[in-house]
Amino acid sequence: MLLITLERGITRFSNFLGVLSTVLFIVLLFNVFYDVLMRYAFNDVSIAMQELEWHLYAAIFLLGIPYGIQHGGHVRVDLIYENLSIRGKAWVDLFGCVFFLIPFTLLVGYYGVGFAHEAYALGETSGDPGGLPYRWIIKAVIPFAFFSMTISGLGMLIRCINVLRGVSEEGFSHPPIQH
Amino acid sequence: MIGIIMFFVALVMLLLGFPVAFTFGGIALIFGVFAEGFDMFAFMPFRIQSYMENTVMMAVPLFVFMGIVLQKTRLAEQLLEAMGKLFGGVRGGLAISTILVGALLAASTGVVGASVVAMGLISLPVMLKYNYSKSLACGTICASGTLGQIIPPSIILIILGDVLGIPVGDLFQAALFPGMILIACYIVYILILTFLKPELAPAMPQDLDDETRAQQIRSALKAIIPPLALVLIVLGSIFTGIATPTESSALGGVGAIILALIYRQFSWKMLYDSGLETVKVTAMVFAILMGATAFSMAFSYTGGDYIVEEVLLNLPGEKWGFIILAMIAILILGFFIDFVEIAFIIVPILAPVAEALGINMVWFAILIAMNLQTSFLTPPFGFSLFYLKGVAPSSIKTTDIYKGVMPFILIQVLVLVSIMIFPELYGMD
Amino acid sequence: EKVYKLKMAETWASNFPIFGDAPRNMARIADEMSNGRLKITIDSANKHKAPLGVFDMVRSGQYDMGHSASYYWKGKVPNTLYFTTMPFGMITPEQYGWFYYGGGMELMQKVYQPFGLLSFPGGNTGNQMGGWFQKEINSLEDLQGLKMRIPGFAGEVLAKLGAKPTNIASGELYTALERRTIDALEWVGPSLDLRMGFHKIAPYYYTGWHEPATELQFLVNERTWKKLPDDLREILRTSMKLASYDMYIQSYHESAENWATMKTEYPNVQVKTFPKDVLLAMKKANQELLDEKAAEDPLAKEILDSQANYLKKVRVWTNISDRAYLDSVDSLAE
Ligand code: NA
Ligand code: NA
Repeated sequence: MLLITLERGITRFSNFLGVLSTVLFIVLLFNVFYDVLMRYAFNDVSIAMQELEWHLYAAIFLLGIPYGIQHGGHVRVDLIYENLSIRGKAWVDLFGCVFFLIPFTLLVGYYGVGFAHEAYALGETSGDPGGLPYRWIIKAVIPFAFFSMTISGLGMLIRCINVLRGVSEEGFSHPPIQH
Repeated sequence: MIGIIMFFVALVMLLLGFPVAFTFGGIALIFGVFAEGFDMFAFMPFRIQSYMENTVMMAVPLFVFMGIVLQKTRLAEQLLEAMGKLFGGVRGGLAISTILVGALLAASTGVVGASVVAMGLISLPVMLKYNYSKSLACGTICASGTLGQIIPPSIILIILGDVLGIPVGDLFQAALFPGMILIACYIVYILILTFLKPELAPAMPQDLDDETRAQQIRSALKAIIPPLALVLIVLGSIFTGIATPTESSALGGVGAIILALIYRQFSWKMLYDSGLETVKVTAMVFAILMGATAFSMAFSYTGGDYIVEEVLLNLPGEKWGFIILAMIAILILGFFIDFVEIAFIIVPILAPVAEALGINMVWFAILIAMNLQTSFLTPPFGFSLFYLKGVAPSSIKTTDIYKGVMPFILIQVLVLVSIMIFPELYGMD
Repeated sequence: EKVYKLKMAETWASNFPIFGDAPRNMARIADEMSNGRLKITIDSANKHKAPLGVFDMVRSGQYDMGHSASYYWKGKVPNTLYFTTMPFGMITPEQYGWFYYGGGMELMQKVYQPFGLLSFPGGNTGNQMGGWFQKEINSLEDLQGLKMRIPGFAGEVLAKLGAKPTNIASGELYTALERRTIDALEWVGPSLDLRMGFHKIAPYYYTGWHEPATELQFLVNERTWKKLPDDLREILRTSMKLASYDMYIQSYHESAENWATMKTEYPNVQVKTFPKDVLLAMKKANQELLDEKAAEDPLAKEILDSQANYLKKVRVWTNISDRAYLDSVDSLAE
């Protein structure tokens, strides 16, 4: 029961990151449009607005990854996987989470903390005229996103355990992703 | 040596079916820590930061979004239906209009999945209804949906420009003519095939009762306008200097929203859904990138890059030995791994060698792009094949799709070889 | 005998000429002088993928050494700005005088010491050009709304005069300038601009004002430095100095060669100098920005005063030596 509750909590968290990413994407779309319009029509350029573009874009793809883990959005070579039973799939995912996904994201997240902290301690800013201050914020998205991937990975792990225990088969039938 | 072993272990592990991105990351971690210790991974945030600041790659989510809006608003579908009516009377006409529509979508979006899925949903049922051969129908859709990779604007060209350090504008320009040749070859192939074996692609019976020819042409023209307008916005804004190639992708996205408004297809839900879908696809691409960068880090810091460089630099026949081996390597790797991984893992290893051999880098990039485009079609891991399988009716077997793409793969290889041998014909020397 | 193996990260891609030649020369000289006891391997940006992470990577010890430019760290440590070059500042021989004999090195160590780093001159490009322009600059008016890719401090100076510094990815610079998405850009000078192809698309090439003596930088991690025996330290110091001077000469040569090539193939490229009132306004804006920086930070003031005082002295000599000589020779030609 605890596992099911935990899994639902993780699902909500990953979904929230997906929504956040989507909102940031729509902001990005109009951010770029605004910058082009201002430059071409009004001969005005703001380095801060230009830097905001990559801040948004970086946050979108980083925060989107845990959402993708939650929703089976990451590409698999499914020649064998496709033909496995649900239990077989669960074993593959269990193995992958324990040996690949969780250690990898934890380690990158760990080094990301020091990376962002460095920027905070130095008070790092943009080196360009009128650029954005507080570089640590965008750098902190790296550890945040990677630890979120660990959390989404834990969700995946719990789903596998639930399948193997015969409790629930939730989360193993995703609609085909469209790229 | 560790790098080489790691490479093959990764290929085997990928077959298990765990997501590619994290398989690469995990394998990199295991081998990297074994050979160099944990500290090597302190490089990871720096590598990620480089991708974050790489604004050229921002075009990926923006172009994906444009393609998804085009699909969600059914503007692509209308185009296909109108074209089908226009050319349906000719033998192979539906296949030819699928190719033309694929080319048009390619010139406006460059998002392979969007084109393949859209045409798989609309064109495939129509072709099956009029007794086209299953494999011909599938092959045509996969091949023409993949045109987006070589016809600018294209994500693979953007990525290659970045990896090889070539202005993206130069690559777009250089890719235009090879792309058009490829389209022409597809059409010629359909014409020859239907001449030899008419039963594979019969003509569509014409019901001229409800619509005159003039009406058909009018509705086809009307349906062509929206995608054409996007092409004009994207390419036009680059050409007139309104926007950089990256920014043009955002104009395309906003343009797609405006088209949706004009055609009364806009809703906030559509906007949100398209955004969410974009996030998913973007996350998929960049997750592979994160895994691939960890993998290539472990590969190069354990000395794998020197071994590959050594081998490639000492090939017999110098320039041609290298080019031929590089092309065969990419083609074979393309059977197993995706273009993003190839672009980020293999191409950086090849680039300095090509440079050292005095190879024209634009030409080299176009060869790689054409070759990578083929990788979308090659079984077992061709993306286009997956997309189509995802939307095709259950009567379509994987083998139908595999059989269908073979002739198109052959055509691509022939065009690739012609660019290799006669670069001057394509304006590159 | 113990062999010391050092790893160095450079900001440049593996195929970047001149800038990338300096660290390679340095490593070769160090190897030969030490009879193989000092081995330095160089990882380019293609390998470490973090061109602007060199400061942090050397600081944390992931690399023993780095090759980059001091002004790239301005966003992290503002005072690093002053050790590359300054608008309206010293030319290369003058600046080398300041570094090696006029107190420059000591001030540079004072800035880098708190981060566990040693910094050394890393090669000079010589006077950089003012950039490629699509339109002529005849007055201050023409700077208003001028969209120019000009990063860093020089961008701040131009922004003060109403220009619009603009970020463009380097891969898109050519298209952006060609299609007039931007009006102007600055890169380096003939030594490196030729491979970017700007001369094919922009009619005006302006002479320099903002980077009269761009000095690159060798960074050494202090722990690495302390581990080295005295003789190898001296060998390293000498190799860096030699490679730096060599890069200055190489840049001079390549600029002359490339300029000649460019002029033959594209005879219509016009070399221009900014009008006096524009230069005056630039100089004034520059001084105001420097005064602000000096007021904010005593160490910045110390560095700027040192540079200003040295320049005052050394320019007198430049005038009565090189300038007088060139004027004399020119007057004979007329
Ligand atoms: Na395209
Ligand atoms: Na493939």
